[in-house]
Amino acid sequence: MLVKHTNALARSLFAATLGLACAAALPALAQDKIAYPHKVVTLVTHSSPGGGSDVFLRDMTKYLKQVIDADFVVENVSGGSGAKAMAHMAKQKPDGSVFYATTPTYIYTSHMAELSANYTALEPLANFFYDPEVIYTRADAPFKTLKDVLDKAKAGRSAWGAANPGSLERITLEQMKKITGVNAAVVTSEGGGETMINVLNGTLDIAIGEVQELRSQLEGKQVRVLAVLSEAPLALLPGVPTAKDSGIDLAVRKFRGLAGPKGLPPEITKAWDQAIPKLLADPKYKADYEAANLVPAFIAHDDYVKFVDHFAMEQKTLLTEVGVVKKK
Amino acid sequence: MDAIITSFELLGTTLIIPMAVIGMTWGIFGGATPGLSPSITMALLLPFTYTMDPIPALVLLTSTYVGAEYGGSIPAILIRTPGTSASAATMIDGYEMRKQGRAGEALGISLQASSIGNFVGILCVILLTAPLSQLALAFKPSSYFALGILGLSVIVSVSEGMLFKGIIGALIGLMIATIGTDPVTGVGRFTYGNADLLTGVPIILVMVGLFAVGEVLEQVANRQPTAHISGGATKLKWPSWAVQLKTAKANLIGSVIGIFSGIMPGAGGTVASFMAYTEARRFSKTPEEFGKGSEEGVAAPECANNADAGVGLIPLLSFGIPASNSTAVLLGGFLIHGLIPGPVLFNRDPTILYGMFSGLLVASLALIPIAYMTLSASIWLVNRPKPYLFAFIAALVFSGAYSINNSPFDLGLVLASGILGYGMRYFGMPMLPTILGLVLGYMIESNYRRSLVISGGDYHIFIEDPVSVIFLSLAVLFLAGSLIREFRNRRLRPQDKEVSA
Repeated sequence: MLVKHTNALARSLFAATLGLACAAALPALAQDKIAYPHKVVTLVTHSSPGGGSDVFLRDMTKYLKQVIDADFVVENVSGGSGAKAMAHMAKQKPDGSVFYATTPTYIYTSHMAELSANYTALEPLANFFYDPEVIYTRADAPFKTLKDVLDKAKAGRSAWGAANPGSLERITLEQMKKITGVNAAVVTSEGGGETMINVLNGTLDIAIGEVQELRSQLEGKQVRVLAVLSEAPLALLPGVPTAKDSGIDLAVRKFRGLAGPKGLPPEITKAWDQAIPKLLADPKYKADYEAANLVPAFIAHDDYVKFVDHFAMEQKTLLTEVGVVKKK
Repeated sequence: MDAIITSFELLGTTLIIPMAVIGMTWGIFGGATPGLSPSITMALLLPFTYTMDPIPALVLLTSTYVGAEYGGSIPAILIRTPGTSASAATMIDGYEMRKQGRAGEALGISLQASSIGNFVGILCVILLTAPLSQLALAFKPSSYFALGILGLSVIVSVSEGMLFKGIIGALIGLMIATIGTDPVTGVGRFTYGNADLLTGVPIILVMVGLFAVGEVLEQVANRQPTAHISGGATKLKWPSWAVQLKTAKANLIGSVIGIFSGIMPGAGGTVASFMAYTEARRFSKTPEEFGKGSEEGVAAPECANNADAGVGLIPLLSFGIPASNSTAVLLGGFLIHGLIPGPVLFNRDPTILYGMFSGLLVASLALIPIAYMTLSASIWLVNRPKPYLFAFIAALVFSGAYSINNSPFDLGLVLASGILGYGMRYFGMPMLPTILGLVLGYMIESNYRRSLVISGGDYHIFIEDPVSVIFLSLAVLFLAGSLIREFRNRRLRPQDKEVSA
């Protein structure tokens, strides 16, 4: 235990010295920061420490505090797939001192459970990123393009994999099935691990997943990406067409943004609308988020409110169509 | 050769040894504390590893993981409350031995079996991670279904003498397993619109409730001073040569079963230890001693769950797939340092894996002396007056359960499971079938339905998959064999002894 403490102490001393040095060397930078009415801003996440959104937020706050004149702390309110965090947020003041890191999960949880506070209790602030989703197959599969898979499905049957039955990924595959009108079984499993094994052993022809989840299999050349489910091809996957290029009008917008309690004042939303493009342009942060396979996708406040609203209604229709949500 | 030299260098240049010792000690205490599962014990350390270098951080976490598997057997033997779910099988004969005043001997057997299991498991990880990773690929959904059925066929033998109650218990477990999101359609089942139930009832909470809270409630209700055993050796007794010879076969069976269940994601240490227990009895020269304080009955499951824990690292390291809660926490430990376990890690960062492997070996060597040194602390804990112990267990169980999600709802689940456990004890129902139903229910259901989705409703899929055929045939043989034995025994001794587990 002693060892750990001295280690941590040494590091914090080092960090403090470094911080002092930077503060002394770069006084001009502080003036460029966007003024903010709060000294400390809390960013709430429903993921537990070390989880996806938690790592994302902690990484982002390092750069965010150089753009906005405030300190940022991350608070984990985990449990109930975001239900706890939404209930927590609904009780906060909409003064810009606390935000919730949103992903499509909070919309899904709102649709699938009866909550004391669901997504409608929150006001989307702005969007930062998309998590790009791709369709992949095993490296030695006979399919070279998405069309090959669809041809197989048209001729007979095909099995497609997605993690978790109540997820954006599963709904996306159901959508693809509907658009193309082919005969495919959408097979879900808990988490991405089983899906990956079943793609590798040929039980599933293709599966959908985030680029980040596939990173080690991609580097090991065990899987091949057939199509990217975004509007434009991805820089990190050169030569891979989008689904739209392959003739299927389908794109996933797995967003990462912030939301606050309802009734955010305009000066707060303006500050963020100003800050996010600056944050995304920071070359150091850019290197970081590109390594984490995030695609920058700034959506300003006014558009984001409509975006999330539209997304939520669209997903509700799709979830009802496949029977996850019952008609009321 | 390079690997060995690198490993020795790392021992001298990094904090592997102190971290292995700290992790081991923490793991034993965590494992020994009913209500703190290995995953909770590890998760408590996770925040500390943020500031550490990757190798010491991973060694600390893996040593805790290994230590907790042994630690779990201490309360199983001493107070009939498994510290970890995997040690539930050790409890059957371990607690019987304690009642006979042979607690020290039982602990010694458990320690030796744990060490054997550890070494076997770790050697497997070191030697076989790359080649064995191919085997996991042969497992399709139909194979997992068949594996689950094979696991369920054990129920007849774990509810020995109380087949009817055992089946009811298993059904309770299977019913709890259906709560949550439907594995195929995604519809919420029995969730009543409650967001906390969307992801199902966490197995660990039910186990803690059934075993620990149920036990506390029952003991409080009975208030029998005779139940408190003051006698028995409190010193750890290393098994004599005669005992070592006697348990050698059980250790072998335990190792083999532990290796196989460890490779297959989803089987887990609990299933492994119960299977080892039943298999050890089947091949034993003295099967009649099982359930009455058999040395083999302590050794086999303990060896199996330690081997399983070690081998359980293989799916994580070779595929990046965590097969258990503990390995999921370990995955978190990797990700904190920007490392992604998987086929690439071996090629890109082998030093980190060598560091982890040497840390595991150091931890396994350190297990024996640390077990001797910490045992008196554990026993001191167990020998406190019962009301203190109950309060302590209850406090630890509830704070441990709360620490997972900071959710008061989880506390309600633990309490409800505790009341269920008390009810089951009251009616003399065995706990183990319930746990098996709970552990295997979701695996069986989801993979059964997944297979049928893949095949388009064609049941041939279960006989077209060779792995599935092997497991299903084994299950039929096993079921038939134990039923025949069950009825033969029943005719031989009409007045059944009631062995509550």
